[in-house]
Amino acid sequence: MELIKAFLRRPAAASILSLIGVLAFYVVFGGVDLFKLAKAASWVNFAANLGIVAIPVGLLMIAGEMDISIGAMIPAGSITTAILSGYYGLPMWVGMAGALALGVLVGTVNGLLTVRTTVPSLIVTLGTLVGMQGIVLAAAVLLTGNASVTLAAPDWAKFVFGQLIGGSHQVIILWWLGLAAIFAFVLHKTRYGNWIFALGGDKVSARNAGIPTERLTITLFILSATAASFVGMCQAIQFNSAQVSGGMGYIFNAICCVVVGGVILTGGFGSVIGIFMGTITFAVVAQGIYFTQIDRNWSNLIIGAMLLIAVAMNESFRKLALSQVRRTAKKEA
Amino acid sequence: MTVLTTHKGGFGRLARRPEAGSFLGMIVVYIFFAALGGQNFVGSPGWSSWLNMAAEIGTIALPVGLLMIAGFLDISVGAVLPASSLTVAIISGHFELPLYLGVAGGLAVGLLVGFVNGFLVTRTTIPSLILTIGTMFGVMGLTLGLTILIAGSTGVFIVPDTLSHAIFGAALGGMFQIGIFWWLGFVALIYGMLHLSPWGNWVFALGGDKESARNAGIPTRALTIQLYMLSGFAAAFVGVTQVITFGSAQVAAGSSFIFNAIMCVVIGGVTLTGGAGSVIGIVFGTITFAIVNQGIFFSGLDPNFGSIIIGALLLTAVLSNDTFRAMALRYSARK
Repeated sequence: MELIKAFLRRPAAASILSLIGVLAFYVVFGGVDLFKLAKAASWVNFAANLGIVAIPVGLLMIAGEMDISIGAMIPAGSITTAILSGYYGLPMWVGMAGALALGVLVGTVNGLLTVRTTVPSLIVTLGTLVGMQGIVLAAAVLLTGNASVTLAAPDWAKFVFGQLIGGSHQVIILWWLGLAAIFAFVLHKTRYGNWIFALGGDKVSARNAGIPTERLTITLFILSATAASFVGMCQAIQFNSAQVSGGMGYIFNAICCVVVGGVILTGGFGSVIGIFMGTITFAVVAQGIYFTQIDRNWSNLIIGAMLLIAVAMNESFRKLALSQVRRTAKKEA
Repeated sequence: MTVLTTHKGGFGRLARRPEAGSFLGMIVVYIFFAALGGQNFVGSPGWSSWLNMAAEIGTIALPVGLLMIAGFLDISVGAVLPASSLTVAIISGHFELPLYLGVAGGLAVGLLVGFVNGFLVTRTTIPSLILTIGTMFGVMGLTLGLTILIAGSTGVFIVPDTLSHAIFGAALGGMFQIGIFWWLGFVALIYGMLHLSPWGNWVFALGGDKESARNAGIPTRALTIQLYMLSGFAAAFVGVTQVITFGSAQVAAGSSFIFNAIMCVVIGGVTLTGGAGSVIGIVFGTITFAIVNQGIFFSGLDPNFGSIIIGALLLTAVLSNDTFRAMALRYSARK
């Protein structure tokens, strides 16, 4: 009993329960073959592309901020790579550096505007979202005369960022696993992680405790924008071309993954494992429906229902966790 | 001396009003595109194109703005719009029932989704952003699934009768859609509700401090549900006018309205933190947004510059609101 309670108090609990629930639903009502689903690449590829963006977005949400400009940064990263290395024929690393530098730049702008003003970061990044969409489109059309740019990546870049392992699994999955491990270590084992939780819990107290809150916020925005342009860069290398559109779907999808993963929007609570599990759950719901007999038109309905149920679970589990903390505190006193 | 001070105070008060910045932005943007677009833009082709757009977005932006003044967000409007137009098309097009039943059904869908949003927001601690993302996905899925189930395709056609077309879909002079007049009507109505009735004071109080608002005896739960039903209704209304104007309804429509409506509201000087804003500001913000969006096609510039201008406008608007608000607060503190 204590074991179950201890499990439920963890931020990842709801996402694991949701995953089990979704799989059970698909098996019972959709007749899905779990082995076939486990071997399939489609949902893992989907999860990896989304997960690389969802983790830093989740860290921002733990810190009490929001970044929706990622929707523009994914096409921005891929178009920058393709214009520099494809259209202008510069070395591959220049295109990659350009894409990542753009991420750093936009992240810095987001971060600076958020810490220097009282404007909520949702609105700040809505502004950079729309602005970057225009800049990316206009730049692509002005520089290349086309809304899609082709790119022939050299073999080493293909191998590192764009190969298909076993002919179906994108190599970006390994990047996702690696980045998840690094982020998990930073958030849960280093003082920077404690700072992030402190920032989301109470910003003023965090600053009074000597945490460089402004620098930390800007760094987190840089991480999320750069992660998005990294995903765009990998997509350009893999598919040999970059499109100016696409990416808008990532905004709500990433927020869904993070929230299903047990992060609360008001900040101060969450875990990387939770976000990771939330991403897997979301990907299984969105892509797994193709393995069921359920008409895929219902997938959005299932996503909506799962999101609300998972969030409701999170809320009640968090109350459980808080009451436990209070009880322990009382006992110690 | 007295005259001078009142004049000075009057000007100061004007500059501190929430809509001052958005009015300035609107004028600047209009002059900019008038200079580039010339006769066509300042004539009826230009006016009708941005007014038509402003009417559609503006109808949704008004209640979304009220929600934001009260400290809430509504993402689900992007899914309610196609849900309502498909309801109309399925009831009156596919099943060939009278159109007034279809219109009633479409509007009822909006009110229902709004009620669910409001009910869940007031009964749980889930933030409204997340909650309405959930209902957005849910309504999107239901719309798509039910449409395929009933009609067998993602687009449904409808032939509106003359009277309904005159009420919801007429175009004056072939250019100015009747939606513009509906929008102006809604503006007057919402203006009265927010700025002239005690109900409006409640909305501001709710956005300023929810706890104190409830302690002061304001029925905060009922108020929140009313606000969400209002935004659901508005989105459904635009869906109804669209399906009657174009004679068909598509499943994949409306998602652009989510961020566009929020942008109109923010350019209009409403802060997301709640408690501040005005209907006139939202109207100015909507017009500004529509002028940029449509004016770009008259200007000879690359259409993509429109997005850049809107992004810049949005950031300028929020930054200047920030300054204006600080000014206003400092002023009232000094008093």
